[in-house]
Amino acid sequence: MSKKQKIEAAKKAFAEQEALRLQNLENAKTERLSEDDCTFVQMDEKLHDQKFEHEPISFYKDAWLRFKQNKASIVAAAIILVIVLMAIFAPVFSGTSYREQHTEFGVLPPRIPYLENLGIADGCRTMEIQKSVLDTYGDAVVEVIREYNQYYRGKPIPMVEAKVNQYILKGADDYYFFFGTDNLGRDLWVRLWRGTRISLIIGVCSVLINCFIGVVYGAVSGYYGGKVDMLMQRIIEILGGVPFLVMAILFVMFLGAGIRSFILVLIITGWIGMSRMIRAQFFRYKDYEYVLASRTMGASDRRLIFRHILPNAIGPIITQATFAVPSAIFSESFLSYLGLGIQAPEPSIGVLLAEGQGSLTTSPHLTLFPAIVVSLLMLSFNLFGNGLRDAFDPRARGSE
Amino acid sequence: MTDDKILEVNHLCKYFSSGKKSVMKAVDDVSFFVKRGETFGLVGESGCGKTTTGRTIIRLYKPTSGEVIFNGKRIDGRLSKEDSRAVTSKMQMIFQDPIASLNPRMTVEEIICEGAKINKLFPDKESMRKRMYEMLDLVGLTREHATRYPHEFSGGQRQRIGIARALITQPDMIIADEPISALDVSIQAQVLNLLNDLRKDLGLTILFIAHDLSVVKYFSDRVAVMNRGRIVELSSASQVYDHPVHPYTKSLLSAIPIPNPRVEKQRKRVDYDPGMHGYDASNQPSMYEIEPGHFVFLSEKEFADAKKQLAAQ
Ligand SMILES: Nc1ncnc2c1ncn2[C@@H]1O[C@H](COP(=O)(O)OP(=O)(O)OP(=O)(O)O)[C@@H](O)[C@H]1O
Ligand SMILES: [Mg+2]
Repeated sequence: MSKKQKIEAAKKAFAEQEALRLQNLENAKTERLSEDDCTFVQMDEKLHDQKFEHEPISFYKDAWLRFKQNKASIVAAAIILVIVLMAIFAPVFSGTSYREQHTEFGVLPPRIPYLENLGIADGCRTMEIQKSVLDTYGDAVVEVIREYNQYYRGKPIPMVEAKVNQYILKGADDYYFFFGTDNLGRDLWVRLWRGTRISLIIGVCSVLINCFIGVVYGAVSGYYGGKVDMLMQRIIEILGGVPFLVMAILFVMFLGAGIRSFILVLIITGWIGMSRMIRAQFFRYKDYEYVLASRTMGASDRRLIFRHILPNAIGPIITQATFAVPSAIFSESFLSYLGLGIQAPEPSIGVLLAEGQGSLTTSPHLTLFPAIVVSLLMLSFNLFGNGLRDAFDPRARGSE
Repeated sequence: MTDDKILEVNHLCKYFSSGKKSVMKAVDDVSFFVKRGETFGLVGESGCGKTTTGRTIIRLYKPTSGEVIFNGKRIDGRLSKEDSRAVTSKMQMIFQDPIASLNPRMTVEEIICEGAKINKLFPDKESMRKRMYEMLDLVGLTREHATRYPHEFSGGQRQRIGIARALITQPDMIIADEPISALDVSIQAQVLNLLNDLRKDLGLTILFIAHDLSVVKYFSDRVAVMNRGRIVELSSASQVYDHPVHPYTKSLLSAIPIPNPRVEKQRKRVDYDPGMHGYDASNQPSMYEIEPGHFVFLSEKEFADAKKQLAAQ
C-alpha cells in the first residue's frame, strides 16, 4: 500500500467512527436525564472534616515506637551502652594503670572475687611438674590431678599434673586481676577497657568526620548535578581506586602510629560510601513535588537542601553511621594486628589481640577477653543498626 | 471578567535533551493567553507536555525559547529579587500527587505557612498563624489539624492542604496540575467543588491542567487541547465540546463516558492516528482561526474542509 493510500484509509476509518459518535450524541440528547431528576443534597452548609482524636505522630516518634518493638536491638543497645560505660569508667576506678608493670606478676590467669570460690576464675592454672620439685610449690598447689611417667631417653621421669594457684605462687595473694595479666604483669582488665576506649574513639571519631564530609560532598554533588556532579564523581573514583592498605601503611609510616593517624587513615576513603548514599537520596528527592512546591514559592537552595531533602536522609545516615562504627573498629584491629598499631604502652583491642596470640595455647585469656569484647561490639552495633534501619524505613525490613 | 490578560505565553518551547543526539520536544511552540478571573483548561493525553508547560510557566524549568508574560512583566529568564517575589507569591501551583506534594517531616502548619514565611508576607508569627487558620477553614479543615503530619490525612484532605498552601500568599493565579487525577472518584468532586467555590469567592485565575475533557468542560471557560507538545485546538469550552474541529479533539471527546447506561452501551471510541494528516514539506499545519476565538492547528487544505463542514452544521 502506498503512503497516500494509507493516509486515505486512515481518514476513511476516522470519518466512519466520527459519524457513529455524532449518532451517539444525538441519542444522548434525546435520552438525556433532565435536571429535574436530580436534587442537591447539601448546598448551603459548609462542611468541615472531623478533628483527629489520637496524638500527632512525628517521624521520630514513629521510628521510636517501631524501634522499641525490636528486642534484639534493645539488647544490643544495652550491651553497647555497658561497653561504653566500662570503657570510660573501668580504667578510672581500678587501682592500677594500663602501663603499670609488675614483672614479678607476669601472665597471671584471671581471678575474680566470689567467682573464685566456685572454681571459675580462681587464679589457678594446670601445670605439669616434675614430682621431685613439687614440694617447692608449697601452698600454691591446690590439687594434684594425676601422676604419670614421662620417658626421657628411655628413662621414666615421674611427673604430676597439678592445679596451681598462680597468685600464691607469685606472691600476689592480695591482688585480684579480673582478666589476668600479660607477660609484663600489666592488668589486662584495665588494658582491655582502655583499649576499648581507644578503639571506640577511633571508630566514632572517624565515622563522625566521614559522615560530615560524606553528607556535604554528596549533597553538593546530588543537588547541583550535571557537570559539577560529573567532576566530583570522577574524583571519588580516583580516590576509591587507591588500595587501602598501601595508603594506611604510608600514613602510619609518615605520621607515626597514633590515634590521629589512624583516624586520618580511616577518613581518606571512608566517607565515599556515605557521600554516594547522600547523592542518591538527593537525586531521588530533588524532583519530588514538595521540593518543587517549595521552589515555586521562592525557597533558597539552603532551605531546599536542609529543610526538604536532607531530612529524608537522616534515617539512612544514622543507620549507615551505626554500621560504619564496627567496621572502623575492625579496620583498626586489623591494622594493629598487622603490626601497624598504636604505639607501645598504649593498648587498643587490635594491639591486645596481636600481643595475646603469641601465647594463645599457654595463656588463652590474653586473647579471649579482647576477642569477646570486639565480637560483642561488632554484633551489637550490627543488630542495633538493623533495628535503626527497620525503624526508620520499615519497607527495608529484612533486606541485605 | 475583563479582557485584561494576566498571563501570556508566546511561542514557548521546552526541549529535554538526553544524551547528545536525542531531543525530547516536550513543549513545542505553544502560545496562548489567560484572562484575569477566568479558568483556562489545558487538556491532552498523558505525556503530551501539560505538566512541562505548567512548570515552565512557573519557572521550575528554564524555557528553551519563547516568552512568558505575567501581570504585564516578562518572567522567563533571570529576574531581580523583587520581580521574582512577585512570581513566587502571586503565582502558585497545586500538584498532581497528594502524597509526594507534602513534606512528610513537616506539620500541616509548617507546610501551609512556608510560602508566606519565605516571601515574608506577615510582620509577625501571630498574624501568619491567624491567616493559616483562615486557610484551613477555607478548605474545610479544622484548627486541630494544624499540628498533624501529612501521613495522617486522606488523599482528598492532603490535596486540600496543598490548596491551602497555595492560597496563603493570596495569589492572582493558580496552576492546578491535574489536582484530582490521583484521587478516588468519590473525592474528586470534593476538591473540584472547593476549587470552583474559591474561584468565585476569591476571584482567582486558574490554569487547570487535566487529561480528561469532561472535567475541563465542567470547570473551564476556555480550553486548549494539547497533543505532542503542541496546542491543536483552542476555544471556549462549549465550542470545543459542541463543535470540535481537530480530529484529536474529536477522539478525546469520544472517550468521555455518557451518564446514561442505554446510550453509554453504544458509545464508540474514535481513534486518532497522527499519520492521517499526511503532512509533508509542502503541506504544513499552522494555527487558523475558524470561528471568532476558535483556533485550530491544521494544514491549509484541511482548514478549508473543516470550515465548510462547520458551516454546514
Ligand atoms: N525532566 C525531564 N527530562 C526529560 N524528559 C522529560 C522531563 N520531564 C518530562 N519529560 C518528557 O516530556 C514529555 C511531556 O511530559 P509531561 O510530564 O509534561 O506530560 P504530561 O502531559 O504532564 O503527562 P501526564 O498527564 O502523564 O502528567 C514526556 O514524554 C516526558 O517523558
Ligand atoms: Mg503531568
